[in-house]
Amino acid sequence: MIDPIFQSDTYLLARKLLDATVMRQDAIASNIANAETPGYHRLDVAADFAQQLKAQMASGDLAANSDRLQPHLAEDPNARSMRPDGNSVEIERELLAMNQNAVQHEFLTDIISGNLKQLRMAITGNTANA
Amino acid sequence: MNLIPGLEITGGALNAQKTRLDIVAQNIANAQTTRTPNGGPYQRQIVSFETELIRQEGVPGSALQGVKVANVTTDRSPGQQVYNPQHPDAGPDGLVTMPNVNLSYEMVDLITASRAYEANLAVAKNGRQMALKTLQIGK
Repeated sequence: MIDPIFQSDTYLLARKLLDATVMRQDAIASNIANAETPGYHRLDVAADFAQQLKAQMASGDLAANSDRLQPHLAEDPNARSMRPDGNSVEIERELLAMNQNAVQHEFLTDIISGNLKQLRMAITGNTANA
Repeated sequence: MNLIPGLEITGGALNAQKTRLDIVAQNIANAQTTRTPNGGPYQRQIVSFETELIRQEGVPGSALQGVKVANVTTDRSPGQQVYNPQHPDAGPDGLVTMPNVNLSYEMVDLITASRAYEANLAVAKNGRQMALKTLQIGK
């Protein structure tokens, strides 16, 4: 009975994207740590994760495949090195990406919390606690 | 379990930058040292970093890369010669070889290292905020 509530697209999507924001925080930590390592290429969550997610949303089989779809890290193909040491990290960009990622994470946790609150409200009928 | 994302990497980076600050402090402190245990004037030390792969189980794709101090090398460039015959380490021609420490280089390095340290601290703070927010799920 409860299972279908956790299979709603919003909930599943928020969950997957939350995984991606945590992974992106790892990548940004790695990028900032290596801001001065010669030859380092910036990492990010692989772009095909978003594409696969979009495709599954469109075809409506997100619930069936949600476990198979996992974000993974890849070198950012769009990052160009402007420095003689071949490092493609720009620290300002990383800090901005980190802040954006934090806001995204907060937003997604709120969505998930909202979903759970709705469920609790439906079970208890108590709006004050929800 | 890794509750705070990126903490392992940031910890390594903070440590590496702190080592760099230590070496800068050592260089500046010894900017006038003309006598060392090895003989001759003090020679400037340089820190270099290298990446360190962080193992992640069961995660495909590129591995995360931490950073650590690769080694501390000695700058072998010759120091400045100063004419000062009263100096105890002056040669027969009255010239003293000073350390090859250039204060302006050291100050630039100092600022770069402390800014990099701050940037990594910001990452740690951000990761902590994210972890706290995650713990609030469902509340």
